[in-house]
Amino acid sequence: MTDPQVPEDEPMPEDEGPPSSRDPMASLLKRSLAGPTTTSGPGILPGVQRRIRRRSRGKFFADGWSTSNARMSTGLIAVAMLLVLALAYFALGPVGIQ
Amino acid sequence: MALPDDPDTRLIERLVARDERAFNELVRAYEGRIVRLLARMVGNEEEAKDLAQDVFVQVFKAISSFRGDSKFSTWLYRIAVNLCKNRVKYLRVRHANEQDELDSVTEKSLGDARPAGGAGLGRPDEQMAGKQVERIVQVAIQELEPSFRECLVLRDVEELSYEEIEQITGLPAGTVKSRIHRARAMLREKVERELGEKIR
Repeated sequence: MTDPQVPEDEPMPEDEGPPSSRDPMASLLKRSLAGPTTTSGPGILPGVQRRIRRRSRGKFFADGWSTSNARMSTGLIAVAMLLVLALAYFALGPVGIQ
Repeated sequence: MALPDDPDTRLIERLVARDERAFNELVRAYEGRIVRLLARMVGNEEEAKDLAQDVFVQVFKAISSFRGDSKFSTWLYRIAVNLCKNRVKYLRVRHANEQDELDSVTEKSLGDARPAGGAGLGRPDEQMAGKQVERIVQVAIQELEPSFRECLVLRDVEELSYEEIEQITGLPAGTVKSRIHRARAMLREKVERELGEKIR
C-alpha cells in the first residue's frame, strides 16, 4: 500500500485546526465516521470484570460488591442503614414502650 | 478531540493499589470513547467491544507501569491501538480463506452505496451531504493499510495533536505527518473513483 517513490519522512504541510478548516476530505471523513455519541447495547464492564476474574483465577472481582453494576455509593447505603436502625430503635426502644 | 478529562492522580493511585471500584469508574468513564475509536479502526462495533474489553484488562494488568510521562488518555489510546493492530493481523489470517466472499460483500456494499448513474446525482454539495457518500467513505477507510488508517483516524476523527499521535503510535513526527497526508490522498482517490466526482 505504501508508495515506494515517496520517502516516509518527507516533510508535509502543517494542517493545524479542526478538520473542517483543513481539507474537505478530512471534513468528510470526520462526518462519515462520527457515528452515535453512545454505543448501543449494554456496557462492557461486566465482560471486563469476568475476564479479569478468570485471568486472575478469582483474585479480583470475585465478590458481588465489586462486580455490581449498581452506581449506589457506599455513603448512600450507610445513610439508609442508619435510618433503618433509627426506626428500629424508636419502634422497639424506650420511646416506643411508653 | 483529545480525551478531555484525564483521571486525577488520586484515581490513578487507587488503580495502582488494585481498587476494584476505581477500576469500575475508569471503565465507565472511558468505554464509550475507546469502543468508538476501535470501531473506527476495525469497522465493526461488536468486534470493537470485544477488543475494548481486552484493552481494559491490559490496563488493569499494566497500570503500575504508567509513569505519567504522557497523559493517561494517551497511554490508554496506545494500548488500544497496539491491541487493535494485533487483532487486525489475526483477523486477516483467520479470514484469509474467506477473502473472495469478503470482496464480494464489499463490492455489493459499494454497489448499493454508489449513486445509480450520473443523471440522478444532483449537485455535488447535495451528494456530499448524503448518506451514500458517507457509506462509501466508511468502506474506503477500511480498505486503507491499517497503519495509515490509524494515523488518519487519530488525526481527522479523534482530532489528536501530532505529538499525541507520535506517542500513541511510537512513530517519528515526519512519518506520522507523511502517513496522514498520504492516507488522505489515497482515501480521496478511492472515494472520488466511486463517486465519479471531485471532492471539493
